[in-house]
Amino acid sequence: MSKIEINNLTVDYTEKKNSFTALKNVSFSIEEGEFVSVIGSSGCGKSTLLSILEGIRFPTSGEILIDGEPIKGPGADRGVVFQHYSLFPWMSARKNVAFGIKQVNKNATKAQRLQIADAFLEKVGLKDFKDQYPSRLSGGMQQRVAIARALAMDTDILLMDEPFGAIDAKNRTVLQELLLDLWEGEGTGARKTVVFVTHDLDEAIFLSDKIVMMTAHPGQVYQEIKVPFERPRSRMQLVRTKEYNQFRNQLIALFYSDIVNKIGKEEVVL
Amino acid sequence: MTRKKRYLRIVHVLFAALLLIQLIPDRLNTETYAQYVVWFALIAEALTLIVSSVIKKPLSLTLFVDVVSCIYGLLIAWTLATAKFNLLKAALFPPPGRVFMQLIEDHEKIVVNILSSVGIILQGYLLAAAAAIILGMLLGSSERLGNVATYIAKFLGAIPPIVYIPYGIALLPTFHSVSVFVIFLATFWPVLAGTMSGVMNVDKKTLDSARVLNVNRFTMLFSVILPASLPQIFIGYNQGLTVSFVLLTSAEMIGAQSGLGYYIKNYSDFGDYTRTLVGLIVIGVVIVVISFAFNKIQQYLLRWKR
Repeated sequence: MSKIEINNLTVDYTEKKNSFTALKNVSFSIEEGEFVSVIGSSGCGKSTLLSILEGIRFPTSGEILIDGEPIKGPGADRGVVFQHYSLFPWMSARKNVAFGIKQVNKNATKAQRLQIADAFLEKVGLKDFKDQYPSRLSGGMQQRVAIARALAMDTDILLMDEPFGAIDAKNRTVLQELLLDLWEGEGTGARKTVVFVTHDLDEAIFLSDKIVMMTAHPGQVYQEIKVPFERPRSRMQLVRTKEYNQFRNQLIALFYSDIVNKIGKEEVVL
Repeated sequence: MTRKKRYLRIVHVLFAALLLIQLIPDRLNTETYAQYVVWFALIAEALTLIVSSVIKKPLSLTLFVDVVSCIYGLLIAWTLATAKFNLLKAALFPPPGRVFMQLIEDHEKIVVNILSSVGIILQGYLLAAAAAIILGMLLGSSERLGNVATYIAKFLGAIPPIVYIPYGIALLPTFHSVSVFVIFLATFWPVLAGTMSGVMNVDKKTLDSARVLNVNRFTMLFSVILPASLPQIFIGYNQGLTVSFVLLTSAEMIGAQSGLGYYIKNYSDFGDYTRTLVGLIVIGVVIVVISFAFNKIQQYLLRWKR
């Protein structure tokens, strides 16, 4: 049994008489401990898919099973990192992390929660900023706090919705490496199952075990591609290899063949 | 800050000028109590020097010193126009020393009146602040209820609360209860409107962030929606506080037997304009002190905002 099974998921939206199909018959599965990226252009429904996994939206038909159980709403088995930094502005960095811990671990005392929070903030390099409010932190730092919170909650599954989409290119690579370090650092058996939504192909290749490519209007799965590179990965070594460049070119060709199919019918926004 | 920047300021020249003009002979027939002005100036100067030596931000020091300079300037002009050159009608414009003297002589009576006024404001204000926030959060949780309640709060809040006074006098047994009632109304509607607006307009991203954390209803309401609404709630609190002072002092001038409004009205009826000025100054100081404390609380609770 896969950790997450997505079966024939269809989502229709109705907005002022206009209805459109965000997702149509989407099916794929994700194994325990697998890092899966969902990639596609805007409007392919990848964020809709994730919000159903988060449990804050429900499909028109079809279902998602986690450990064989259908999703009934948000759950303590899933941690989420959004593109918007999703921190509570009235809580300091460590309070934000501790608040997340409190929601999944009701038994921990306040002191224990703060201790765990501090440990994870140290892991993401924000030890000296733990008492700052989010408004005093840069976007990259806020996202580090959000990652620290999601990891500190120690959920089986990590859902990430374009987490680095609003971060400048240089910081983005730093955060990708940080995320990979923390995830790979847990060891093969203990790794969390990650669903990572992105529109950045290089990001998807660098991070994932598997890439699910989606097409838009309506959102459908176009290709599922296994990423063949060994872990732990080093960006510097990886990008130099012939295999990486071949693989990347192959994916770009696939990615754009879909878009070429669509051009002429309607405007495609990348 | 260098020593020069700290201590070399115009304010000290004005202080000296204020003392020096006391040497000009009085032109009033009545006692001017110049010693009270001198004492006031000495205390103000001592305070200025203490503040100058401890304050850290140059801008805050400049602001403080400028305010003191204005007070000195006003006292100089006031002293010259009354005690020293007798340019104004003496019955209407007592010299500053006389006002200070009266302030000290009446201090017990004044404290009683301050307590009476502030007590009424606190009762009405705190009662309204608590009731409106609870009701606002309940109503705001439902979009439909919140929308209709917002309209009602806007309608009822638009009625100037002072017009409730005659009705309040008919409804309620004592002046005290009428005042509390009117201040309650003046605060209740703006805080209710602010709370509902805050609760109904919490950023969807914030709500989603909380929902995916699987928070329970109680946590959602009190740890997420309430703090997220606090900036809007404070808009209502500010409005209520400002109106409360206006209302209470007006009400006291109409029908009270105590309070700062009553103090002013009573003595001006007897033509005692020294005490009228004392009352004005005391009301100003009380309002400034309460607003200052309130602002500090607000700044502390909203310290997470930029």
